[in-house]
Amino acid sequence: MKFNHLSAALFGTALTALTLSAAEAEELRMSWWGGESRHIATQKGLELCGAKHGHVVKGEFTGFDGYLEKLTTQMAGSTEADIMQVNWPWLPLFSRDGTGFADLRSLPGIDLGQWSEADLASGSMNGVLQGLSVSTTGRAFFFNVTTFEKAGVAIPTSWAEFFEATRAVKEKLGADTYTFNAVKETAQLLVTLAVVQKTGKDMVDPASNRVAWTVEELAEGIGFLGKLVETGAIRSQKEEASDGNVNLFEKPAWAAGKIAGSYEWDSTYAKYADPLQDGQVLKPVPMLKIDGAVTDGVYRKPSMVFAISANSKHPEAAAQILNCLLNEPEGIAALGTSRGLPASKAAAAQLANEGEPEVRAANAIVMASSGPTVSPFNEHPEIRGIFIDTLEEFAYGQLDAQAAAEQIVDGVNDVLSNFD
Amino acid sequence: MKGNRALGLAYLAPYIIGLLVFTAVPFLASLYLSFTKYDLLSAPKWIGFDNFEKLFTRDRTFWKSLNVTLLYVFITVPLKLAFALFIAAILNYKLRFIKFFRTAFYVPSILGGSIAIAVLWRYMFATEGLVNMALATLGISPVDWFGDPGNALFTITLLRCWQFGSAMVIFLAALQSIDKSLYEAAAIDGAGRIRTFVFITLPLLTPVIFFNLIMQMVQAFQEFNGPYIITQGGPLKSTYLLPLYIYDEAFKKFHMGYASAIAWVLFVIIMALTLIAFWSSKKWVYYAGDKRS
Repeated sequence: MKFNHLSAALFGTALTALTLSAAEAEELRMSWWGGESRHIATQKGLELCGAKHGHVVKGEFTGFDGYLEKLTTQMAGSTEADIMQVNWPWLPLFSRDGTGFADLRSLPGIDLGQWSEADLASGSMNGVLQGLSVSTTGRAFFFNVTTFEKAGVAIPTSWAEFFEATRAVKEKLGADTYTFNAVKETAQLLVTLAVVQKTGKDMVDPASNRVAWTVEELAEGIGFLGKLVETGAIRSQKEEASDGNVNLFEKPAWAAGKIAGSYEWDSTYAKYADPLQDGQVLKPVPMLKIDGAVTDGVYRKPSMVFAISANSKHPEAAAQILNCLLNEPEGIAALGTSRGLPASKAAAAQLANEGEPEVRAANAIVMASSGPTVSPFNEHPEIRGIFIDTLEEFAYGQLDAQAAAEQIVDGVNDVLSNFD
Repeated sequence: MKGNRALGLAYLAPYIIGLLVFTAVPFLASLYLSFTKYDLLSAPKWIGFDNFEKLFTRDRTFWKSLNVTLLYVFITVPLKLAFALFIAAILNYKLRFIKFFRTAFYVPSILGGSIAIAVLWRYMFATEGLVNMALATLGISPVDWFGDPGNALFTITLLRCWQFGSAMVIFLAALQSIDKSLYEAAAIDGAGRIRTFVFITLPLLTPVIFFNLIMQMVQAFQEFNGPYIITQGGPLKSTYLLPLYIYDEAFKKFHMGYASAIAWVLFVIIMALTLIAFWSSKKWVYYAGDKRS
């Protein structure tokens, strides 16, 4: 009998302890896309941050392909993870009015002082903070220094110098050497760059939610793309299509330095530098500007954001984990630069000496360059489709620059009107 | 008896449940969704025939894609069937290493629909690819297979035709089942090889030709991998088949209702062409015991 009483007392105490710890230790889910190194780093970060704050966080990870479809299906069924990695241009898809995800300003435990106001603004929809920028990325110019040296010309510092250098490179190295590359979204972003440098305006006017550029301004930008083809700086779209949609970094001409430059995300330096043949050197260079430019026109944006589910049963616990991953030493050390150079000031300071020097150099160029705040609508799938399809029609001579500009402005405004 | 019936139903249950859950429900749901505006994230909104009205009156991409799809089907299916029948007729002869040849010609069908083969196709037909290198040895100047809108669809068509193995095997089986005494009688009557093929072989193969025609037509209307991997529908949408358009609308733009409407139009077209094929079969398909002469 005595034994039974003692057992009951011990059992009761153990049960109480279990119940208490269960109330504090929440079970959470986090989803992300990435490669092997990011998966390992994030799992480590979740383990350390989970242990620190007394939660268990289960990772759900995959490659980029199919992640949007998976996330959309989960959001549609309210079964999304508590913490999610969300591509920045997807914010308007999931949270037009700022209610798609949890309001991060309303959750305690996140040190928002670690982000710049610009970062917080770009993660907000309808004024509500929906996602925290994990890292900031932007398009930067990479040039194959070896090719330019072989032709005896300096790396250009302006578009005027670039066209001059192109002429010299083609004279010295042959007509099959190209100084630059512009396919699909890179072509779109080059046109965007030309218009932004000239006007100082992003494509979307946030006040009116319509295209900020006039048809004439855009036509001039499209004409700039045409000039790149006419001068032999880039291959024509027809020539590009002849290869059957092969990525630039997979092309033998790129590896051999026969295509000697491109305009790519700063964080992708290694992807383009690694396939180069021995002896070829790729360098990030400062933004080239057209004559009369009013800004560098840098296309800078959060590469991705972390968001918390509006349906999470444990939003405060999720906020603790989010803050740990992005702002606390354990999480920062574990994640490292697996998502690029971090946007959080604490993480940037802690990881000041990590990462590849050329990626740092490219990122430094992106961060130092000027340009208007970029709207996520620039990468809206429909808007991107309209832009790329129209530029293809222009490249094949079906439309002139003016008609192409009209088609883009009308099409983009149609899409934007759905978000009024 | 009752026990047997219950057992039979139990055996059938996995199939019936699978059919209902994974085929019937999505099939009917897509019909409902085709009358709605639905982006997956908010509830479907009933809009009546608006999707169909837009599709038929204002959507230039749909008409372009429909034209390309019909052209693709009308080129691919006869070409593939003719080629499969031609190879099957050759493989029906008693040749040395015939088993090896039969296997070798069937292999493309096993590999055919895969992503890897589509990628291989892309490299073979690139400007500096294997095909142009082979043409160069014959003194023929290189062809722009993917960059020229006039050639791109043809290149995709070749990929489909290359996967002729399954149709070929069915033709071969049918050829082997033809009664040899018919050929002997024809030979005694003095018929040559071509007359024998046209007046004996071909009529006896018509049920199998009809079967292959329906199957290949339905599959051709659903082609996705080849153009998606190789050309992504370009250039100038010259290879933008309807399944690619449906995919883009549904999964890139989240226009689920509109994508469902396109899918139903595609279904109706396939159904109509299948019915026409069945109706016309009365005039050209001969079955065993058929009284027609």
